[in-house]
Amino acid sequence: MTQLNSAFTLFLSLLVEAIPFLLLGVLFSGLLQFFVDERRLLAILPKNPLLGAFTGSCIGFLFPVCECGNVPVARRLLMQGAPVSVAIGFLLAAPTINPIVFWATWTAFRDQPEIVFLRVGFSLAIATVIGFIFSVQTDLRPLLQPGVASAITMRSQSADSTPSLLQSGTYFLGQSAKPLITDPSELQAAMMATVSKPMSFRLRLLLENTVQEMRELGAVLILGSAIAALVQVFVPRDLILSLGQSPITSILAMILLAGVVSICSTVDSFFALSFASTFTSGSLVAFLVFGPMIDLKGVGLMLSIFKPRAIFYLFALAAQLTFILTLFINLYIS
Amino acid sequence: MARTSIRSFLPWLDVVAIAAWGVLLLYYWLSEKLFLLIHPNYIGLTVAAGIFLLFVSGLKGLFLLRSSRSRQPSAPIQHMTLFPPGLGSLLLLTVAIAGLLITPRAFASQTALDRGVTDAITLTRVKPQSFRASTRTEDKTLIDWIRTLQVYPEPDAYTGQKAKVQGFVVYPPNLPEQYLLLTRFVITCCAADAYPVSLPVKLTTGDRKSYSPDGWLEVEGQMLTETLDNKRQLTLQAKSLKSIPEPKNPYNY
Repeated sequence: MTQLNSAFTLFLSLLVEAIPFLLLGVLFSGLLQFFVDERRLLAILPKNPLLGAFTGSCIGFLFPVCECGNVPVARRLLMQGAPVSVAIGFLLAAPTINPIVFWATWTAFRDQPEIVFLRVGFSLAIATVIGFIFSVQTDLRPLLQPGVASAITMRSQSADSTPSLLQSGTYFLGQSAKPLITDPSELQAAMMATVSKPMSFRLRLLLENTVQEMRELGAVLILGSAIAALVQVFVPRDLILSLGQSPITSILAMILLAGVVSICSTVDSFFALSFASTFTSGSLVAFLVFGPMIDLKGVGLMLSIFKPRAIFYLFALAAQLTFILTLFINLYIS
Repeated sequence: MARTSIRSFLPWLDVVAIAAWGVLLLYYWLSEKLFLLIHPNYIGLTVAAGIFLLFVSGLKGLFLLRSSRSRQPSAPIQHMTLFPPGLGSLLLLTVAIAGLLITPRAFASQTALDRGVTDAITLTRVKPQSFRASTRTEDKTLIDWIRTLQVYPEPDAYTGQKAKVQGFVVYPPNLPEQYLLLTRFVITCCAADAYPVSLPVKLTTGDRKSYSPDGWLEVEGQMLTETLDNKRQLTLQAKSLKSIPEPKNPYNY
């Protein structure tokens, strides 16, 4: 019973901590949608996949969101037609590559500045590589959730004008033969040319968008936090920590811990600091690099963009790259 | 017909769910329960989020009211990518109501044992600037003692110093009946990363049975070095133990 109550307290604390950050992310995503001209943004983004992935990874500096907030922004980027490499690069790097996280990590690891730079460097490298790999798949739609995929379909269709009867949607008798779009993401996609509309109209849409994304992402955040809280309470922490002190198992243990604990990237450096004396530097960097990219709570949010298969690819790539890079640190540098 | 009423009801569910979260965040703030959940640094952010959620929900409600009065068709029902319509809002609303009904409780001895109570804690998660050595040793809190030990771990250096510390009781599984651990949780961000720190207390009379686990105590006494569990450790020899109510902010930072 006490454990159940602890789990509930933990669950609430994760939510209370994360919801303001989620709200910030949703707002940034809304602002991106309604106040940034998509065509201009896309014109700036490089078409080269490697350069695109790198640019995407750096966009985080403009949007200081943690991993609860990057998902709505990445989803928006995809739906607005940004190259895959840019969106994936942003999704993976934004939680780490931003001024707030940089400052927090610096505060925590003032004595070991190399950890700060390794964290930023590795995150950039891994996000760029994964963004590049995903850009090989020219049509990302099979990997996306139907809502996001159809938004992209809509965009390409408006170019090659599919007959309106073949489009999905609702028809009303006695009205025009054009289908009425009823899917929210399609609706959003249709509203995309809103930058030219009057301000009051845009603000109204911003409100609708905020409500819709809060509801959708808030619900998955709840599921993710519930799992994280249950695992933390019912799987003893010793079990994870006792996995080892050796260069290899310490990294694996920290990657696992990062995935399970699911704390925000803005504060995880303080958490990592607590292991500074008992764990290898490489494993600390692994925690700081991998945690913001993929954790239990974040996987829930990512399910609003990707199908499980794609999340598994992301997870496998990120874990392996983190492992290899930090193992190099453990074996050759520290 | 039933379908139409559900359709017109769903947007209102959004309004209520978002408002419920705004209320929950502000309620925790006003009833000072936020201290149990997150680090004080983030309280401002949470309160701002609560106010903003209420604002968003109010605005959305106003628009809904207007559009229903002017009998305009409201926005089409929206599909969700992960949940069927309404389920997401229902989940949000349920959790918010559960949060209002079930009081979050500060972690207690069971969690401390699960998370490994250590005295020679090798960790300071908090910024080193916040470290302050006070000249009067009685003014040091439990955390101050642990931090001092981190800087200079030799227990003999503190023998004979007076101390007055507060914390809750944990029964150490591997120490004799004469000892208990005076414990506090330290958090850096939210309760998810709370970790316990503790100081062994040696009782001069009786055994620990008279102090139940999780009870809060203020212990006054003198420091001495003991060999506990094959480790030389700084121990507080208790002169007086006083039961105190659980502080409104049970964590330390």
